[in-house]
Amino acid sequence: MTTLPPPGEPRPLPPPPPTIDTENKRLDDGVNRCPKCGSTEIQLRPSVGMLVCLFCRHEWAEARLDETVANGDLSALQGTTLGSGAADIDTGAGTLVTMKCGGCGAEVVVNTAGQMSARCHWCRHVLTVNEQVPNGAVPDAVLPFSITHADAVAKITAFAGKRRMFANRAFLREFRPENVVGVYLPYMVIDSRASADVSGFGEIETRRYTRGTGDNKVTYYDADVYQVHRHVDFTVDDLTIEASAERADQNTSVNTNNVINTILPFDTENAVKWNASYLTGFTSEKRDQDVSHMVPTLENQLLSIARSQVASSLGAYDRGVRWEQERLAVHGTRWLAMYLPVWLYSYHHVERGKGMVHYIAVNGRTGEVMGSVPVSHARLLVAALAVGTVVEAVVIAFLAAS
Amino acid sequence: MLTTILTAPVLAAPGVIAASQSNGELFLLAGPGGAALLYFTLWRYYRNTDKSHSFERETRIQGQPITGSDGKVSEVTGTRSKRINGANDTDHRERVQRLP
Repeated sequence: MTTLPPPGEPRPLPPPPPTIDTENKRLDDGVNRCPKCGSTEIQLRPSVGMLVCLFCRHEWAEARLDETVANGDLSALQGTTLGSGAADIDTGAGTLVTMKCGGCGAEVVVNTAGQMSARCHWCRHVLTVNEQVPNGAVPDAVLPFSITHADAVAKITAFAGKRRMFANRAFLREFRPENVVGVYLPYMVIDSRASADVSGFGEIETRRYTRGTGDNKVTYYDADVYQVHRHVDFTVDDLTIEASAERADQNTSVNTNNVINTILPFDTENAVKWNASYLTGFTSEKRDQDVSHMVPTLENQLLSIARSQVASSLGAYDRGVRWEQERLAVHGTRWLAMYLPVWLYSYHHVERGKGMVHYIAVNGRTGEVMGSVPVSHARLLVAALAVGTVVEAVVIAFLAAS
Repeated sequence: MLTTILTAPVLAAPGVIAASQSNGELFLLAGPGGAALLYFTLWRYYRNTDKSHSFERETRIQGQPITGSDGKVSEVTGTRSKRINGANDTDHRERVQRLP
């Protein structure tokens, strides 16, 4: 049972964070028509990064988000600003979205958990989810694929090809790189302005000397100890963090999500206003993290950036520095939700009764590739034993001779 | 176990026992050590568990000039360690005590 607070001076509720309206209102009716012929048969042509009408072959693109949203000066960033597509997810909002077909008026259901379009079963119009429904399915912007399926297959084949000898045999037998899937994964792209302080101790070597003789020589060091403090103010442009709880979990003992993280960064400055037709022919994962869930990760990364920034000022400490305390003040952040393109090859491997999905991921823009290939432990063991035996034989021969 | 397999016959070899009285013992670890290192290196080359996005270097960062202070507080004499105890100036992701 809740209780009312004691009477007193009424306090106003904190104002909601300012929002940048990124909704593509031109497409709110769910019918994305070719501007030339009116057809709804539209999809992305990755080789040119343009939408193409499959009926009349007309090509066009949505405007870049950077051109339509005032970015402002990062050095003056204050408070928290959200894109309208990065707003908190309404836990009551399901993944099913019912749309009224603009062609015939029929009601069509789209499951936004994995797709953002559906074909009207009556008039065959393609309906796309463009309205920013509060379930996290429609972001502020999308970065279209520019790496084609053929390019992705070639990169995955080359990556796995370098790792054949000690790969799990079943993985090699079942390797089908043409099964790679294009996925738009949800990220938050964050601009920040912050200050950080770090303090600790550093040592500068003053003397080095050796004591003992023969095999018992030991080197000793003398050093001056300093208390070190550093302060840095900095801005970060387009820091990219996973907005899906599953992808953000990068525990390498149970999953291989870290390889998807490794193919960052993307050229997010080229992201365009949301248009679900960019997703036609691809799959997508819905965002399930709000800004408040991601603040600890952001602060952790900002602290790491601060530590990296001050490292250049520690050259005098030739024996290193031991940081003991750190402080972060975040002055301003701006959050935009984006779908970013990843080609994913996945292989489910079971080892000692424990299953794990191994990914080989290709950045859908830069082509950077990283992956996890399950190993053949027997082959690794044979190779290690063979090399170890040879090394040991050489050592024995050397010791016997001397 | 790998160490046991590789070193057991070696330590029993005549002539090596004398050498093992000095630095020879350390040299004899080269075989098992090399085997373990090769196994781990190859495993990591395939699994890439150590990889992640280098956001510290791969993000556009504009830093203002760094300020701070340095004050000598004490001296260390006769230590055998080449680095300060607990050095973490190159491990930017290791968190230390967070002050409010």
